[in-house]
Amino acid sequence: MKLNRRIFTALAAGALAMGLALPASAADLDAIKNAGTVRVGMLVDFPPFGIQDASGKPDGYDADVAKALGEFLGVQAQIVPVTGPNRIPYLLSGQVDVLVASLGITEERAEKVDFSKPYAGISIAVYGDSGLEIAAPEALAGQSLAVARASTQDTGVSAVAPQGTDIRRFDDDASAVQALMSGQVRLIGLSNVVFSQVSTVAGDRFDKKFDLSSQVQGIAVAPGSDALLDQVNAFVDQAKSDGTLDQIHQKWLGEPLPDFVKNAQ
Amino acid sequence: MYQFNFQPVFGNLDLLLYGAWLTVRLSLMAMVLGLVVSVLGAVAKTSGIRPLRWLTDVYVEVIRNTPFLVQIFFIFFGLPAAGISMSPNTAALVALVVNVGAYGTEIIRAGIESIPRGQIEAGRALGLSPVQIFRHVVMVPALRNIYPSLTSQFIYLMLTSSVVSIISANDLASAGADLNARTFASFEIYLVLTILYFLLALGFSTLFGAIRRVFFTYPASR
Repeated sequence: MKLNRRIFTALAAGALAMGLALPASAADLDAIKNAGTVRVGMLVDFPPFGIQDASGKPDGYDADVAKALGEFLGVQAQIVPVTGPNRIPYLLSGQVDVLVASLGITEERAEKVDFSKPYAGISIAVYGDSGLEIAAPEALAGQSLAVARASTQDTGVSAVAPQGTDIRRFDDDASAVQALMSGQVRLIGLSNVVFSQVSTVAGDRFDKKFDLSSQVQGIAVAPGSDALLDQVNAFVDQAKSDGTLDQIHQKWLGEPLPDFVKNAQ
Repeated sequence: MYQFNFQPVFGNLDLLLYGAWLTVRLSLMAMVLGLVVSVLGAVAKTSGIRPLRWLTDVYVEVIRNTPFLVQIFFIFFGLPAAGISMSPNTAALVALVVNVGAYGTEIIRAGIESIPRGQIEAGRALGLSPVQIFRHVVMVPALRNIYPSLTSQFIYLMLTSSVVSIISANDLASAGADLNARTFASFEIYLVLTILYFLLALGFSTLFGAIRRVFFTYPASR
């Protein structure tokens, strides 16, 4: 898993370098309104944010956000499938107007593209039996906790767990979750995305103990598209306050938009 | 070009050696307990008591016709549903014992059946007690006959134990996987792991040879 991530990072870095070489082409809000469509790049291989439905059409959290963005702008949202490594080049070369592509907001990327306010987020946290009182890493001593070997949550837990924590490393999230469900461990390090799937099976048997780290995602536009960015930000603000994002988040991730996304700037 | 870098391996050799010790301990315990299960299974199978024979048949057939991976998953993840919950290391030992016990049962049964009836009758004629007959006339010659099959099964058991890390049990393979996750020196780590497993197998093989010379040579040739 870790290796995949490294390859992915390397590819993404390569893609960024390519993006740098291309002249950034800013999106013009008037042109979008005249055309009547906004071209939205999104991932289709990143469930539940971007998936393909049974008929092969893009679906998921990002697709719903893209449609809502289109409605807000008063135009049709035309979804263009992109991949992790090529999404920024797609944007910078003007093949899409905006990216609603689960793009985590990082400083490196912010040098290439302009980010809107966060519209989604992934957090890594320690979850466990609802009856268990664990509010901070110190309370982990003497507890057994499952993680996927070499995952972000493994690194996160290993960094904060005190001596005497029984960290059980499994090959993947699925086995770690299985260990939790069968009661072999009482705690687990997991992302909120996977935990939402666990909750659909296990109900309220488990709850969140404390956060390890979080990453917020923004809608991205090419640099210089200030008029468009203003509109996108206005959309994110409105969608946060009128409950649209809560609704979409509830639909795909089983809970309203988390506070760390709502409060992040 | 790939740059070899053995520093992560040699810098953490203590971790790998500790993992190797865990594998030796796990395998030895599984061999001893597995031998007990095998002898009991073989006795049950060759006994005249039918329900006992059927029960052993079911055990042997189920275990020998299902993958070890499924067995260990069942014991670790499935049994808690029935209220039987074991730590990963205990579950790994139990899974290995259950697995090797089924193969061992068949091997030892073959050994027992290779003893001619006349030999047992000869024992009786000498006035040996049933326990003495079982030990000296049946079991020791039986083990002598099937010794190579049994010990190669045991070495195979030691190599099979390398998958127990899937239920987060600790052994040589899991030590390697943990190190790999930290250093990404996959090739170097697994090369050293291969050598360590080979040395372990060689060591067990030597040990079995010594045991054979002490316990299973014919009295006349001693």
